Amino acid sequence: MKLLQNSGIPIYKQISEQLKEDILSGKIKEGEYLPSIRGLAQDLRTSVITTIKAYEELESEGLVTAVHGKGFFVNAQDGELLREQHIRKVEEDLMQAIKASKVAKMTEDELIDTLKVLIKLSEEE
Amino acid sequence: MNYTDVITAKNIKKRFGKFELNIEELHIPEGFSTALVGENGAGKTTLLNILGGLRRDNEGEVTYFKENKITDEGVLERIGFTGTKNYLLPHWNGNQVRELSEMLFDNFDGEKFDSICKSLNVDDSVFGAKAKPVSKLSDGNIMKLMLATVFARKTDLLLLDEPASPLDPLMRDMLGDILRTYIAEGNGKRSVLFSTHNISDMESVCDYIIIMDDGKILERGFVLDIKEKYVVVKGDERDYEAASKHMVSAHNGKYGFEGIALSEKKNLFAGMNVSFETPDLFQICVSLLKQNSKLQMPEL
Repeated sequence: MKLLQNSGIPIYKQISEQLKEDILSGKIKEGEYLPSIRGLAQDLRTSVITTIKAYEELESEGLVTAVHGKGFFVNAQDGELLREQHIRKVEEDLMQAIKASKVAKMTEDELIDTLKVLIKLSEEE
Repeated sequence: MNYTDVITAKNIKKRFGKFELNIEELHIPEGFSTALVGENGAGKTTLLNILGGLRRDNEGEVTYFKENKITDEGVLERIGFTGTKNYLLPHWNGNQVRELSEMLFDNFDGEKFDSICKSLNVDDSVFGAKAKPVSKLSDGNIMKLMLATVFARKTDLLLLDEPASPLDPLMRDMLGDILRTYIAEGNGKRSVLFSTHNISDMESVCDYIIIMDDGKILERGFVLDIKEKYVVVKGDERDYEAASKHMVSAHNGKYGFEGIALSEKKNLFAGMNVSFETPDLFQICVSLLKQNSKLQMPEL
């Protein structure tokens, strides 16, 4: 696992993203336990709280489940379920944007136009 | 975050002249590493000495491992302590430190002590027939010696007063590994509390932080929660007056101002040309400590 200290992305986020990739690609399989939070902190040379936060991110996305006293195991990755979770995330984030747009007194059309421009920009990237 | 306390303390008070240590409540989480930060004279050493049982002339109650007092049988066996310079008496030498540890603690493993000293490259002059007294050793060697006495025992709680300060960068980096390994091997049952001025160096081994000022606790919490609680604000000089009202501390300079604010107050900066940034621990500590500090930039 590669962790960058000065990338601007929090270390816990880097850990959860890389584990997520490993889970979705099947490198870490369904039913397997993730390394213990303190063992992973030792191996990655981070604080324990960092690995806890990374695992909590994975848990909130439904990728793993915490079992008291045993750690975190990888859930069955149901394609449809995952898609639904991601859609929910998109909806939440859009809701944030809508709220912010109201503060900025943007009209509905302006907001939709902005979204279209951003979609185009992200495609160019 | 769910956790239990390895140390719980209430109404700890100790007065020396004008200084008063006054801690209403203290919780040290079990299974984690906690850093104690504050200006010189804030009371960190006094607090650690009370928690370590070296000083018992204070008011208040301290509970260890959920149910024990420091005087209960076996409690001191479970605690490893390293102090600042005079913790090992100046006329002792390394051989005596080893002998005394053996006498004081049933769980002291002499062979393990020797092998730790060897791994940490403790100077040859510390031991043997011509052993130098502690007063003639470098600060780094004294700290290594103290760390060896602690890690040669099986303990559940470490109280370390400024362990990183006398260490060189390599050894400081290794101290991080040592503490993480200690915690990992405890499976959630081993805890560390250390004081430090080198908060940037120690951030990778810091789960919980307690910031002390003038004998009191100024702020405490799990590191990631504290980082979310505050935000670094940077902005133009002309907004300084208005912005600083909403900030915990702010410093104005030629090219604009900088400081920290509570994240929940972010929306109060609407209309000002400011940028926000997630603080690191060092920024939080410095900004919080600046509020009441008597320190001033001298005229040079």
